[in-house]
Amino acid sequence: MAVTKPAAGPSRRQHHRVLQQGRGQRRSRGQRRYRVQRPGYAWVAPAVVISIGLLYFCLGDTAYTSTLQWDGVSPNPEHVGLRNYSELLHDPIFWRALRHCAVFLVITFTIQTSLGIAFAALLHSRIRLASLYKVIIFIPVVLAPSIMAPVFRLIFAADGQFNWVLRHIGLGFLAHPWLGDERTSLYVIMFIQVWEFTGLTFILYYGAMSQVDHSIIEAARLDGAGNFRTLVSIVLPIVKGTTVALLMLSVIGALKIFDIPQLVTLGGPNYSSEFLSTYIYRHSIPLARVGFGAAASMVLLVLAVGFSMIFARLGRRGGDR
Amino acid sequence: MLEARSRSARLVFQVLISLMVIPYAFPLFVMVQGSFSGQGWGNYKAVLSRPELPNFFRNSIIIAAATVAIVYLCTMCAAYAFAKLHIVGKEVIFWMLLACLTLPGAILLPSLFTTTIEVGIYNTYWAVILPLAALQIPFTVLFARTFVEGIPDDLIDAARIDGLNTLQIFRHVIVPLSLPMAATIIVLTFVQAWNEYLFPLVLLQDPSTQTITQLPQFFIGQFGQDQTKVLAAAVITAIPEVAVYLSLQRLFERGLAAGALK
Repeated sequence: MAVTKPAAGPSRRQHHRVLQQGRGQRRSRGQRRYRVQRPGYAWVAPAVVISIGLLYFCLGDTAYTSTLQWDGVSPNPEHVGLRNYSELLHDPIFWRALRHCAVFLVITFTIQTSLGIAFAALLHSRIRLASLYKVIIFIPVVLAPSIMAPVFRLIFAADGQFNWVLRHIGLGFLAHPWLGDERTSLYVIMFIQVWEFTGLTFILYYGAMSQVDHSIIEAARLDGAGNFRTLVSIVLPIVKGTTVALLMLSVIGALKIFDIPQLVTLGGPNYSSEFLSTYIYRHSIPLARVGFGAAASMVLLVLAVGFSMIFARLGRRGGDR
Repeated sequence: MLEARSRSARLVFQVLISLMVIPYAFPLFVMVQGSFSGQGWGNYKAVLSRPELPNFFRNSIIIAAATVAIVYLCTMCAAYAFAKLHIVGKEVIFWMLLACLTLPGAILLPSLFTTTIEVGIYNTYWAVILPLAALQIPFTVLFARTFVEGIPDDLIDAARIDGLNTLQIFRHVIVPLSLPMAATIIVLTFVQAWNEYLFPLVLLQDPSTQTITQLPQFFIGQFGQDQTKVLAAAVITAIPEVAVYLSLQRLFERGLAAGALK
């Protein structure tokens, strides 16, 4: 397709600029040799001390702690080498937590993206009350998940409103305690995540779509493309940058998610909605096994950094084209 | 984007989007309706009469405001330096920051827990403010640096010729010109600090220092199975957020969208 040029969403453009900075700097310094730049060490110091200082200290400390058997307060922790790691790798619940993150990522990303695109496309199509719909979809983004948790626990309880709705639309046979059932608790967490997050995907796609050139769409229509065809073949390729950014965000979101499973299901029942963050929390704080929790943190660190490097590379390749 | 030529097609779109919006409004509706069942306004009275309630709000305001202040100051200074001043190893420092861009907070948990106890700031605001700011700064610096780089060098050179020093240029050129970008950073940081649950949960133990995200759990402890009061508490905590969002709608949408792109 000839119209991929404006495709670079804000993310890719931003990323591209960052990646290009090294090169750009050198070039501009050549052009303006006369200019003496003032030293700026004092200016970066606060950010460097707070951010790099604290975060790298914590990471180093976590790496060290992961070789200890320690409850976090006792004065003489026991050095156990890599035993925490081998125990971690032999813990079936750890692998379940990882699998939950992966399943969660695939399903929530697919649904959020489709819904975000659908909402954005519909609200770009001369709908009445559009601003009201927009506000309703976006309010969940603003509200803290921890505040909504009791509401969702109520809705998905055995005598909750969700089952009530099912009974009233003739799907009463599906009604059961959604949170108390191992087979459905994970899906409830996904539902809540989609509820919290669609507003953001919608806003991003809405912004990206408002930059689509209308003449392209009209041309497609003249060629006989229907609504669905236009959306899939014209609009989606143009907003691809947004989709890639959202994929990255969903990966990090799946690794990060804590509030919802912790407050709605406590990772249960029987670890059926355990995620990496709740796993780390459970071992570090309630079970007071800080060393073991630190080992799990290191695994999470490797995953998070690994994925960001993959995406940074994808972004660079996209930018150079 | 989509095209509806006939009136019936337009109606189909309208019905379709209304149906799609229902699941988003439903939990909000349940929350408000549930908070009025049983004793009606009595639920709200019971919640509002708890002496702890103002504490939670005060703590959240202090933590969010301090986080915003630290993040804003650090970000503007660093962005100015990265974009316009001379630093040896600039890109190395910058990449060290960027590497922390996607760090999930849980990674820091074991270390934060033990270190804050050791340093003696456990159960104080600082235990939450510092890690929140540290995790936010990499993104805001990236965002702000790109913006400040867009401020023309000629403008800065002209200011320098007029006799302004580096600090005055920051104060009178960079800061005023960056205000729209700064608003985005402030809103984003504020929302994230306000909604943070993990760090206050682990690092603040005492109800007198806890934040509003702990409020539902606190009331579940207080009122037990009386869900209506817990829901009233949820509504009371949600109202300020919704009100601020509605009054600063564009800013919120822009800010959170920018944050999402990290």
